Amino acid sequence: MLDTYGNILQTAVLLACSIFSVYKAVKFRSRSWTVLSFFYGCWMLGDVYWLACLIFYKSTPQISTISDLSWYAAQIFLYLLLRYTWPPEELKGIHPVSWLAPVFTAGMAVFFMFWGEIISNLVYAALMGLLLFASIRRIADKKAAGPKRFLPVTILVYVLLEYGLWVASCLWDDSLLFQPYYVFDLMITASFPVFLHAVRKAVTV
Amino acid sequence: MNYIENIYICLAAPLFLAVLCVRRDARRSLSFILSGMTACLLSAYVSTFLAGVHGVDAVTASYEISPAVEETLKLLPLLFYLLVFEPEKRFAIGGVLMISVGFATFENVCFLTAYGTSELFRLVIRGFGTGAMHVVCGMVVAEGLFLLWDRMGLRIVGTFALLCFVITFHAIFNIFVNQTGAVFWVGSTIPLMVVLIYVLFLQKRFDMS
Repeated sequence: MLDTYGNILQTAVLLACSIFSVYKAVKFRSRSWTVLSFFYGCWMLGDVYWLACLIFYKSTPQISTISDLSWYAAQIFLYLLLRYTWPPEELKGIHPVSWLAPVFTAGMAVFFMFWGEIISNLVYAALMGLLLFASIRRIADKKAAGPKRFLPVTILVYVLLEYGLWVASCLWDDSLLFQPYYVFDLMITASFPVFLHAVRKAVTV
Repeated sequence: MNYIENIYICLAAPLFLAVLCVRRDARRSLSFILSGMTACLLSAYVSTFLAGVHGVDAVTASYEISPAVEETLKLLPLLFYLLVFEPEKRFAIGGVLMISVGFATFENVCFLTAYGTSELFRLVIRGFGTGAMHVVCGMVVAEGLFLLWDRMGLRIVGTFALLCFVITFHAIFNIFVNQTGAVFWVGSTIPLMVVLIYVLFLQKRFDMS
């Protein structure tokens, strides 16, 4: 039940963020704001679909592809956002630390395969690896200005929170009163408005 | 038993003959409507097959399988048009709308033959709701494609992401219209509201950009 309330709260936050970013996208005719709107929209639709199945059919989707598709798309839009606000042409080389990202996500994918589906885990590992790689590469860039780093740092934190949530959901123990899962879920919800600030900084630099 | 291929032939035959007779813009529009209807027919076959493979009932298939199949097959004629003819934005947007209209029209006709024509008010809401939902999905894909299509790598991932977005929107719509009472009305009117907001506030800005 607490999980459902968490989803409702997350959906409400995402709706507010979507409305704000759509307003900015229309006002400034900005591609970055539009892509951010799609990111919020995808996340929100995935949540709404999941909630709708729980409310109307009293069960999670039998073939959980639709919600997953929506959440894959959200990660893709986040990657596109990073590329549009800070194109790879402006970067000088690849910092060796960046290569830790695919190693980390591949290792985690193997860990998650003990609990979940193989294909879904591989897709998430690829998308998260790409996001982590791209954000670490930008953070580690020597030419990077302070405010411009805010978006890749936000994405890095968001990805790590996602991994925290997934690990907590694998090691779920119903007997515990305070689930780490809820804490990570709330932290991810709290991270969504931060993207608005990060994009504002990224597009004004 | 609902023989949708028979319905398809009856609806598509005059359109096909018209396509042969008319020229330029009219031919393009009619071809899009025809391809939308064809996409709807094919998606019915593919959805039924996948529902059988996964062993799910018709209601579950309507929100777990059909949206993905329908939106993917609806996108194919547009992708073909964009890749082969490289049209201007206004032609592509018009094309998407026509595909969506063809798809929604055929789907509504199949719905009428399956469930009857007695409840006029409910059918009006369903007709507008389904039509608006397909138009919204088409518009999102078309506007998004023109926004994201500047490099080959981004085209592929961007197109996939847009497809995922509209699939989920479609699936949520199907969940809502499968219900009764207030949920049905709300679900049917959401796409209509989105179309209204687009026409009243966003269309001019998108046209200018």
